This record gives sequence, C-alpha cells and structure tokens, in this order.
Amino acid sequence: MTWRYEPAADLDQSLAERLRRFPREPDLTVYAVRSAAALLLRGWLRLFHRLRITGRENLPKEGSFVIVCNHTSHLDTLCVLAAMPLPKLHRVFPAAAQDYFFISAPRLAIAAIVVNALPFGRQKHIRQSLELCRSLLANPGNVLVLFPEGTRTSTGALGEFKPGIGSLVAGTDLPVVPCHLRGGFEAWPRGKWFPRPRKLHLRIGKPRSYAALPNDKESAKRISADLREAVAALGMD
Amino acid sequence: MTPQAALQSEIFRTYAWIVAGVLVAAGLALAVLRWILKKEVGSVWLTYRSWLIMAPLIFGSILGGRVVFIVVLCLLAGIGFKEFARATGLYRDWWLTGAVYIGIIAVGITCLVPQPQGEEPGNGWYGLFVALPVFAVALILLIPIARNRVQGQLQGVALAIVGFIYMGWMFGHLAFMANATHAYGYLLYVIFATEINDVAAFTCGRLFGRRPFRSNISPKKTWGGTLGALAVSLILPWLLRFSFPHFGAKQLLLTGLIVGIGGQLGDLVISVIKRDIGIKDMGSGIPGHGGVLDRIDSLIYVAPLFLHMAGYFYGLR
Repeated sequence: MTWRYEPAADLDQSLAERLRRFPREPDLTVYAVRSAAALLLRGWLRLFHRLRITGRENLPKEGSFVIVCNHTSHLDTLCVLAAMPLPKLHRVFPAAAQDYFFISAPRLAIAAIVVNALPFGRQKHIRQSLELCRSLLANPGNVLVLFPEGTRTSTGALGEFKPGIGSLVAGTDLPVVPCHLRGGFEAWPRGKWFPRPRKLHLRIGKPRSYAALPNDKESAKRISADLREAVAALGMD
Repeated sequence: MTPQAALQSEIFRTYAWIVAGVLVAAGLALAVLRWILKKEVGSVWLTYRSWLIMAPLIFGSILGGRVVFIVVLCLLAGIGFKEFARATGLYRDWWLTGAVYIGIIAVGITCLVPQPQGEEPGNGWYGLFVALPVFAVALILLIPIARNRVQGQLQGVALAIVGFIYMGWMFGHLAFMANATHAYGYLLYVIFATEINDVAAFTCGRLFGRRPFRSNISPKKTWGGTLGALAVSLILPWLLRFSFPHFGAKQLLLTGLIVGIGGQLGDLVISVIKRDIGIKDMGSGIPGHGGVLDRIDSLIYVAPLFLHMAGYFYGLR
C-alpha cells in the first residue's frame, strides 16, 4: 500500500526563512497570532484614531480583487486590513517593500505574521514581483493590497502612481477597488517613531475593471492615471 | 511539585549537580578534542551547545511546579505533533489537526484536574487520562462525517490518530508522572536515563558498531550501539538508586529494560515515519538535533511503560 505524503515545502527551513519565502505555507499558530493581533489593532484604531470606514459595501463579495490606496504612513495597511472581514484576513496580502520589511527580524515578523505581506521588490526584480502578484490573484478569493505610489509620501500630497498596477490588471476582469485614507500623514508622518492620536477616515470606492484595454505599456499608464484620479477623488469628498 | 518542594528535594538538587557535572565534563572533553587534538567535532559541538540551552529549560520547567511542567509538556507535544503534521502533509487539513490539538489539550486537562471520585485520590484524573484515546479517536473519526467528505479521508484520519496517540497521549504520560508521589525521582530519572541511553547508543555505535541493526530504517544504527546502550541503561538504575529508594531489584531491572529497549524503539518509530516520507529530520527547531520530535522521540515509549510499571508495583499517588 502506498500513501501519498505531501510534506510542507519549507520543512527544513528555519523560522526566519519560512517567513521570508512567498507563498508561505499555512500555519495555524501564525493564523492565531495574526487574528489576535488584528483584533487588538482594530480596537487600537477605533479608540486611538477614531477610525471611520465608509463604502464597505463596495468590496466584492467573491473572487479575487485588488485594492489600491494612497500611501501616507504605516497606518494605511492596518486601516485597509481593518476594513476586511476577519475570516478573510489570511487571504489579504498587502504588498510590502522587500528591501524594507523583509530584512531585519522584527520587521519581518510584523510583515509576515501580523500583516501577511507579499514581498515586493521595488528596485530590483519588479517583473518577478508582478508575476508573484499575478499568480496570487489567479487563486480565487485572494486579495492584493497595493500602494502604487511605491513609497510613503513625505509631503502629505498624493504622488504619481507607478505603471505596475496597470500592467497587472490591463485586459483582465479583476476588479480594482480604489481606497483613500485621510489623516494618516498627520497621525504618523515619515520619521516619527510612534503615531499621534489623529482621526482617520478610510473611504472605499466602487470597483473598476479594465478588461477592455489591451495589455500594453500605454494602457498600463492610462490605468495607473485613472486609478490615481479615482483615489484622489475619494479624498476630495 | 512546587518550586519550594523542588529546592528542598535532595533528588532534584542531586540531579542538578549531576547534569551540570556531565555538561561541564562533556564540554571539556569536546574542547580537548577540538583545540588540543585538533579533531573535527562540528556536528557534536552543535548538539552539545543545544543541550546547554535545553538542560536549564527542562530543570526550569520541573522547578516551576506541577502545573508549569504539565503545560510545558503539552506545548512540546503540540510542537511535536505540528512537526509530524507538516512532514506528512496532514497540516493542510485544519479540522483533523484541530481535533488532535483538542486531544492534546484534553491530555493536559486530565493531568491537571483532581480525580473526581473513587480510585486513588490525588491530582490528575487517571481514569479519563487512560481512556482518552477512545474519545479522541471518536472525535477524529467524526470529522469526515461532519464535513461529508470521503476522498483521502482514511489517510488523514489514520495520520491524525497516530499523531494523537503517539505524540499527544503516549508522550503525555510524562506529564501525568508529575502527579506521582515520587515525581522528582521518576521524572528526572526517566528524562536523564533516556538521554544517556541515546548518547550511549551513539558513542557505542562509533566505538564498536559494525553490523547494521535495522539497515532500512536507520542506516547508522548498529548492533554494537544498541547493545552497548542497553548495557548502560541496565547499569544506570543501580547507580542512580536514590531516585527511587523504594524500588527492589526486580523494579530496577525492569526500569533498565524499559529505558534501554523503549528508548531505541521510540527513536526507530520516528525513523520509520521519516524514511517512509523521505525526509531527514522532522524539523529544524533545535540545531544539531533536528526538530523537537527528533529530540523527544525516545521518551515516547519510555514514559508510559515506566509510569505503568511504577503504578503497578507501588501505586502512583
């Protein structure tokens, strides 16, 4: 009698290596810690930052989708995660800078365990990173959170959107949900160690789809510009 | 078992000195080999360094008292099972792994709560602890029915049952031993003697091992190592008789046999699982040892056999 065993792909790796790789193997302990951390963070955001979330009904109920948001501080990711239903938490993957979050142990623990981040190469391996995003979204039910500005704003103003998001969704029927967080820059600007108790408001816009556009450079630029406009418009309300 | 009782216990203090002495002697021997005789001691050095961390942790958990020890043992059982689940692929089935974790928690609870009525009074609900496999197996078998699933379920259920019985319940006997009147002597002896048995098997194998013992299962194990370890384990109860002053010659002989044979069997069982799956170690948590399961495997046979032997002759509590 022969049984088919499927050992974990990261069986002989250390904890740090297991957290650094992507996709990560499912781990009940990590899921438990992430769920507990999510509850604490949601409580913190509500109490300390009076976080308000509007437009939750715009989030697609089924299938994979992409969320794009302005990047004002580290609070952005936490607020977007707080908007997602708790049971879905382990299938939401915010893209995080590989060169910033996946190097030192404390940041790695936060990125991989608490945030469930996807390591994104900003300077090198951009193509491979986009490929990783594509394969992630091919699995129905996965949610990718992107900050197309590529880095946190240093002035508070919305920066240009990089074309990567455009090339990811052009010619596909993947819904893209624009979001805008107000108050993030005032609460936790770059260079400060701890956030200040400022009010936060996350607005979730209606999903967009770019199935009709061909998958080329021109469309990528157009889509990025269109999404930037959509995010900026949410911020005007 | 309480911190005060541990510090006052002659047995606990003696073992602390013995283990400290063994670790210092082993460290000196390795240092001589490495720096004076210029021999290659790479993997043994790694194994030794891990012992320098594990030994204080073991003593710390026993010093912490009955509750701390039982909780630590259940955590170890949980980690051991997790390694088994990751190695076999069972970890992808949350329901079955969840049921085994519930079983391991039940092992801990039955070790902690007092006997409700009848039988011998004292800590630990012995009757339920011994009957736990009935309930755990029933729970595991219910899962495919509750989920209305068939495909691959026999393999999943079988793996979960082995996982619970072997890593949860059999290993859990060590936790139940914390309820014994002679807990310090029993626990410290069983842990110390089983580890010495492992070291003896390795050393005797290196010194006089030629004929392979179970070539398909563990290619490095030899008859020389196995019999050498058995001989050491048979002598040890007499040398450490202070651990159980009430034992007669028969019980000392049985103790030696249980550790000498059980220790090696535990090791071989995990080797069978690893070879069948096609992996070298169960994990990578302990440098120089492999996973937690690679370290605790020898105790899995020894703990229940010793507990029932001691209980049969003298009662546990």
